[in-house]
Amino acid sequence: MRSRVAADLLLKSFFWLSGLFILLVLLAIILYLIWRGGPYISSQFIVGSPAGTPLGSEGGIFPAIKGTLWLVLLALVFSIVPGLLTAVYLSEYGSSGRLAEMISLLVQSMSGVPSIVTGLFVYALGVVTLGWGISLLAGGLALAIMVFPVIVVSSRDALLAVDENYRLVANSLGVAKSYTLRRVILPRAAAGILAGILLALGYAAGATAPIMVTAAAIAASSSGALLEPVMALPYHLYILFNEHISINQAYATALVLVILLLLINTLALWLYSLQERINSR
Amino acid sequence: MNPGLELKEKIISTIFISAAVLSSLLLLGMLLFILRESWPIWSQVGAMDFLSGTAWRPVSTPPQFGIAPMLISTMWVAGGALLIAAPLGFGCAIFLAEFAPAPLPAMLRPVLNMLTGIPSVVYGFLGAAVLIKFFELRFDLASGESLFAASLILAIMILPFITSNSEAALRSVAPEYRQAGMALGVSREYMALRVLVPLARRGMMGALVLAFGRAMGETMAVLMVAGNTLMLPFSWFNKGEPLPALIALELGSSIPGSIHYQALFAAGLVLIVMVIAVNFGVNILLRRLKSGVKQF
Repeated sequence: MRSRVAADLLLKSFFWLSGLFILLVLLAIILYLIWRGGPYISSQFIVGSPAGTPLGSEGGIFPAIKGTLWLVLLALVFSIVPGLLTAVYLSEYGSSGRLAEMISLLVQSMSGVPSIVTGLFVYALGVVTLGWGISLLAGGLALAIMVFPVIVVSSRDALLAVDENYRLVANSLGVAKSYTLRRVILPRAAAGILAGILLALGYAAGATAPIMVTAAAIAASSSGALLEPVMALPYHLYILFNEHISINQAYATALVLVILLLLINTLALWLYSLQERINSR
Repeated sequence: MNPGLELKEKIISTIFISAAVLSSLLLLGMLLFILRESWPIWSQVGAMDFLSGTAWRPVSTPPQFGIAPMLISTMWVAGGALLIAAPLGFGCAIFLAEFAPAPLPAMLRPVLNMLTGIPSVVYGFLGAAVLIKFFELRFDLASGESLFAASLILAIMILPFITSNSEAALRSVAPEYRQAGMALGVSREYMALRVLVPLARRGMMGALVLAFGRAMGETMAVLMVAGNTLMLPFSWFNKGEPLPALIALELGSSIPGSIHYQALFAAGLVLIVMVIAVNFGVNILLRRLKSGVKQF
C-alpha cells in the first residue's frame, strides 16, 4: 500500500512537471529574446534598410518586413479561393461520398508534405521550367501550396460546426442550396474561417525552407515586383546568424518575427473563441 | 424548383466539385513531377545503390550518389526527438486532461498554440546560439553541433503536437470508464495510467507517428544545429546532415538538369514518400480507432 501511494505521488509530480515545463519553455523563449533583442529594436530598426559591412550588421529590416508581407499576401491570394471552394465541397456537397473521402485523405497527406519538398517542386516548376527565376512569384506559390491544406481543414471544420438545423430548415422551406450557403451558413462560420486564414498567414510568414530555395535574397528592395527576389524576415534571421553578420541584429530580428506571429496567433485564438460563442448561441 | 434555378444550382455544385478535385490532384501532380525530374537517378544509379550508398560526391568525376548517411541522420534526429518528446508530451496531456485545476488547462492550451506558432527558424537560431554554445562551453567541445542537439530542438517543436493530440484522445474516452474507476476507489493516478491511457492508446500512438512525420521533414532547425557533415553518423552525438538540410543547402548551387540536380529531386522523393507513408499509416490507425470506440 505504501509503495502504491509513493508511486502515485511520483506520477502526479511527473504529470505536473511536464505540464509546467511547457509553460516554462514559452516564457523562457520570449523573455530571452526580449532580453537579448529588445535593446537593439528602435524605430530606425523597423523602418530602416540594412546597412554597414557586411551588409545587415547595422541599419534596419524594413525590406525584410515588406518582403514577408508581399510573400504572405501572394500566398493567400493563391490559396484562399481554391481552399474555400474545396472546404465548401467537403462540408456541404460531398458530405459522405467516396470522392469526398478521397479528397479529404489527399488534403490531409498534403498537410504532411515537408515544406522543403514543396520548395523543391516550385523550384523545378516555376524557377527553372517556367523561367521565373528566384522570385516573389515563385515564393508566393510555394507558400500557397504549403498553407492550402491548413485553409481547407480549418474552413471545413468551421462549416461543419454550423448547426445542422439551419440546413434542414432552409431545405424544408425550399431555399436553394447556394442561397442558404451564402446567406446562412457562410456568415455563421465566418469567424472560424477567418481564424483559420490568420493561422495560415502566420504559418506562411514564419516559413523559411520553401522561400529559401524559391524567393529569398540576402539584399533586395522588396518592391513587390513579381519576378524579382525579395528579402524575408525568417530568411534574414537565418542569414544574419549563419553568415556571422551580427548576433545582436539577429536577436532583434527574431524578436520582431516572434512578436508578429504571436500577435497573429492571439488574434486567431480570439476569433476561434468568438466562433465558439456564435455556435453555442 | 424552376428549371433556371435548378441549372444554376447544378453549375454551382459543379464548380465546387471541380475545384476540390483539381486542387487535391496537386499532390499527385507534385509527386509525378518530382518523380520525372529524378528519373535518371532511378534508372542510371538504381534505387538500391542510391538508398544504401554511403558516399555523396555530386560534383567529382565520376560522381557518387548515396544517401544512406542522410537517411540515417534523418531517422536518428526524428527518432531521438520522439524519444525525448513522447514522455513529456504524454505527461503533459494527462496533466491537462486529468489533473490540472480549473484555470490551468485554459491557460496552457493557448501556450501550446503559441509554441506551435513560433517558426522553426527561431527554434533553430536559439538552438544554435544558446544550446550549441552551452554544449561547447560546458563539455569543452570544438563545435557543439550534433544529431542529439537537433533532436532536442525538434523535441520542443513537436511537443505541442503530441500534447494536444494526445489530450484529445484522452478526452474522447467514454465517461463511464472514469465513473467505474472512481466507484472502485482507485486513485486518479492509477486510473489515468492503467485505464485511460490504454483506452486512448491508438489516438496517442497516432499523435506520435504524426509528430515523427513532421520531425522527419523539418528543415531549418535541423540545418542550423545538426552540423551538416556528409559522413555516416555512428552515434547520436555525431554530426550529420538530414535529407531536408541536404536539399536546402545544395539545391541553389546545383545546375538545373545536371545529375546532381536530379539526385536532389530523388532525395526529395524519398523524403516525401516516407512522410506520406507515415501519414497514411496514421489515417488507417485512426479509422480503426473510430470503429473500436463504437463497439463500446
